[in-house]
Amino acid sequence: MPHKPPTKEELERRKIVGINEETITDVASSDYPLHYPGEEHSWDIDAFRRGFSIQFHHNDPFEASFSLIGIDASIANAFRRTMIADIPTLAIETVFINNNTSVIQDEVLSHRLGLIPFKGGHEGLHKFLKWWRKPTDETLVNSSYYDYNTVSLRLEIQCEHNDKAAPGETDPTKLYKHAHVYARDIEFCPVGRQDRYFSGADTIAPVNPDILIAKLRPGQEISLSMHMHKGVGSDHAKFSPVATASYRLMPVINIERPILGADAEKFARCFPRGVIGLKKVTAKEAAQEGSGYEGHEGEVKAVVVDPMRDTVSRECLRHEEFKGKVKLGRRRDHFIYLVESTGQWESDAIFLEAVAHLKKRARDLEKQVVNMVR
Amino acid sequence: MSREEYQIPTGSASASVGGGAGAGAGGSSSYNAPAVRDYTGSGADGGTMYYMCGDCAVRVPLEKGAAIRCQKCGARVLYKERTKRMVQFEAR
Ligand SMILES: [Zn+2]
Repeated sequence: MPHKPPTKEELERRKIVGINEETITDVASSDYPLHYPGEEHSWDIDAFRRGFSIQFHHNDPFEASFSLIGIDASIANAFRRTMIADIPTLAIETVFINNNTSVIQDEVLSHRLGLIPFKGGHEGLHKFLKWWRKPTDETLVNSSYYDYNTVSLRLEIQCEHNDKAAPGETDPTKLYKHAHVYARDIEFCPVGRQDRYFSGADTIAPVNPDILIAKLRPGQEISLSMHMHKGVGSDHAKFSPVATASYRLMPVINIERPILGADAEKFARCFPRGVIGLKKVTAKEAAQEGSGYEGHEGEVKAVVVDPMRDTVSRECLRHEEFKGKVKLGRRRDHFIYLVESTGQWESDAIFLEAVAHLKKRARDLEKQVVNMVR
Repeated sequence: MSREEYQIPTGSASASVGGGAGAGAGGSSSYNAPAVRDYTGSGADGGTMYYMCGDCAVRVPLEKGAAIRCQKCGARVLYKERTKRMVQFEAR
């Protein structure tokens, strides 16, 4: 029997992950060689180019959402992991504590300081600053700090009684001076050429100046200096440039038989707002034999407006009246990313950097493989 | 150094004992460190140690054999002062 090439509908159907009330079907992709008799499906750059597209949903400095369509999960996941673990940022790495009489312990204070996200001039951060490597010889550590691999910060703060406080005042922030230590109290100490890259609006400063670091009472003091270095998220989460970089698959909602009247309104309530819309059944639809609309002209029917907003709660599958009328799924090759920057990079730049990083690693691997077979 | 060898750190010249509150702790790089604080007070009275009051946080000088009590508020809980040396931590 000669093999018939798959129809367009069949190709679409193969891309859908089925979502039932209790189960999920067709989780793995099947577009690879020898899966369908008589069909090729080996990876092809031209076929990939034809099928691939990118859509931006929103692109704010610290939050970007976009879709990669027509890509395999392995590549999509590589981008996500690269964004989280391999894009370098600057963070506090060493804390030199001269005095800390606050109730928060030195170790905990240091840990908290490390997690504060900082921003600064992009040219300085991404081009001028290089990696700092701890010398293997411990005695050389103090001579390994240069303006191009270390950023110095200071935090000097003492809590005192506020003489101007009103009698009977109970708010510690009014009763005492510096009762709360915030990220904005951290002071940047430029050395060498750092003045050139990190001054004015480009200065190294916390992204969120209102982060509470510690609370003090009169007589307590925190006096410390800090060193920042470049690092990557695979070493420590504080170096990750993203608060979250995640993706989800595009939801698919197929209304297979008409849902009308009060049922339609109930159906719309099974989804987040904006996913399902209500439309009037037209005279043309009502006249069509076997459409299910016969005699329902002017009634409302449920239509899918924006499946991307669906959370795929499957609520609609729990109701008897929608049984057999709706089919849920997800598009296996449509990845909706959400990249939330911690402030050192623009969100979209993090993704571009991840693409460049993956490219570079692929090239490095290619070189290794060529060397191996030589 | 065994526990028995330990001497109460003093401000005088003989403060070379390990763990003593000597100035200029050997080698430890004090980045932007403020001047080393004098933890032993004036230095002349060798037997006086300073403690922190547990209630009012005032510095309490204590002579050898004196009652363990804050002179300001009368609290009987006194804490040792923190080391004057810089302590280095990893922010992890
Ligand atoms: Zn007291």
